[in-house]
Amino acid sequence: MLRRLVKVCEAVSAALLVVMFSAFLLHIAMRYVFNDPLGWTVELQTICWLWLILWASALVLSEDEEIRFDIVYGSVSGRVRRVFRAVFSVVIVALYVVSLPAVYDYVDFMAVDESPYLDVPYNLLFSVYLIFAVASIVRYLWIGGSALMGLPDDRPDSNPAG
Amino acid sequence: MSGEFAIAVAAIIGLAVLGLPIGHAMIGGSILYLLVSGLDMAIAAEKLMQGLFRSYILLAIPLFIFAADLMNVGSLSDRLLAFCRALVGRFRGGLGHVNVVASLIFSGMSGSAVADAVGMGRIIINLMTRDGRYTKSYAAAITAASATIGPIIPPSIPIVLYALIANTSIGYLFLGGILPGLLIGLMLIALNAYLARRRGFPVEAPVPARELPGLTLQALPALLMPVILLAGIYGGATTPTEAAALAAAYALLISTVLYRSITPRLLYQTISRSARSTASVGLLIGGALVFNYVVTVENIPNAVRVLLDAWNLDAFSFLLLVNIILLVLGCLLEGTAILLVIVPIFLPAAQAMGIDPVHFGVVVVVNIMIGLSTPPFGLLLFVTANITRAPLGAIIRDLLPFLGMLIVSLLIITYVPDVVLTVPRLFGYQG
Repeated sequence: MLRRLVKVCEAVSAALLVVMFSAFLLHIAMRYVFNDPLGWTVELQTICWLWLILWASALVLSEDEEIRFDIVYGSVSGRVRRVFRAVFSVVIVALYVVSLPAVYDYVDFMAVDESPYLDVPYNLLFSVYLIFAVASIVRYLWIGGSALMGLPDDRPDSNPAG
Repeated sequence: MSGEFAIAVAAIIGLAVLGLPIGHAMIGGSILYLLVSGLDMAIAAEKLMQGLFRSYILLAIPLFIFAADLMNVGSLSDRLLAFCRALVGRFRGGLGHVNVVASLIFSGMSGSAVADAVGMGRIIINLMTRDGRYTKSYAAAITAASATIGPIIPPSIPIVLYALIANTSIGYLFLGGILPGLLIGLMLIALNAYLARRRGFPVEAPVPARELPGLTLQALPALLMPVILLAGIYGGATTPTEAAALAAAYALLISTVLYRSITPRLLYQTISRSARSTASVGLLIGGALVFNYVVTVENIPNAVRVLLDAWNLDAFSFLLLVNIILLVLGCLLEGTAILLVIVPIFLPAAQAMGIDPVHFGVVVVVNIMIGLSTPPFGLLLFVTANITRAPLGAIIRDLLPFLGMLIVSLLIITYVPDVVLTVPRLFGYQG
């Protein structure tokens, strides 16, 4: 079940890239071949870009795909690593949770405005940050929780700075 | 600089050292700053989304990633390699030359040093170490050194990021990278030729000259890629972002239609991989956008400028200082993070001293790339060590002369601005 959900999230991120790319091709074709430039294609591209980043980094990326500073983490024992993970998970969960109400208000407030071409209300457009924040909270509760229960991480640690 | 700012910086460094992804660390540290300063914590989300939403130029990044991934899964690297072997493989130490030339050409596609080392580098390392003709550590060292060329020659993801930060023409920056890239390539080839003679590296059986036209023809579609990209931008036909989209479309076309090397399943995997790479770089960029807001609120760049003024630094010593700082950071940190966080701090000072922004950009990018292969912690070192399974100490020993060449090149590029600026000026750059 969980695996299928991951597959769906992954497909969504792939679809966002495809839509972004197709919008570019359409944009270029209309502008240079048909001499009839479109505005909404640019807007669609930037929407896909924003959604792709926040969606995929919260829901799709595995731990070894994220960009991190691994020198210290990679050189300590499994026990110390679990302490590290527990500490950073607690801190980041706390910060995302504390800021969540303010972020919700901001996204909610943005309903007053719409994007210029596609008329997407900004609250809908920016709601991806709420998805990102909530998914990150869940993700780091999971990582921190499994560290506290003594489980090793699932990163391949073949090299310390990878 | 306030106490709140110090707390935020300490939190970011602390979280990153513990192993939290750097993007999350920067967002988290910035939220902490807003919290302790009593500001609205939604500003973090606002800056992140508005920044990503309004920086159209950044869209070149996913398109470059996509183009490079497509080229990697296609049989493209094999064809390029066959071409390079036919070209320079016949000289003593030939595979070392092939390594450098392949980086020069391939860099036209990937725009990322690590992608160069992992894709093309892996294949060349296997060729070099087969039958023990070259030591593993030498193959690893020259691969790491030559991979630094990738992001200096266009297209280049670090240059796109610099263009965004410095609000400088991406086209002129791309042009500015061409001569420095060639210079570094020549320096590495010269060193390889010298070492090949001294250490008695083997001579390959030369590829007969009559095979050269055929091999060139096979590699031609791949060789044309940078030409299309640059012609699109400098012909004035397309914007850099549109040119990146055309490059990706071109890569898709040749790998599916012409080379027929991609199945639908493989295509989906490639798209998915590009989407992931985009997200992991994008989160870092987003985090940097948020943190840069904090840096601006604190007026840090101005403080740095005032400090440097007080030291009475001239442009010469300023550039030396920046080079040293970036080299040191480059052996410790990821290049994108340095570029997005450290460079904005020095940029106003550089401009106040009359240093050309295109020149400064190329110096910074070369510098960060050298950092990638500098001991003890350069990422390229670990990538090539991982491929060759050679001990790190041996690789570092073989790498040192190459590193020397890279640093000499950096000094030339830093103190002879014409190396960077000649080509952009030919195309009308007023600087």
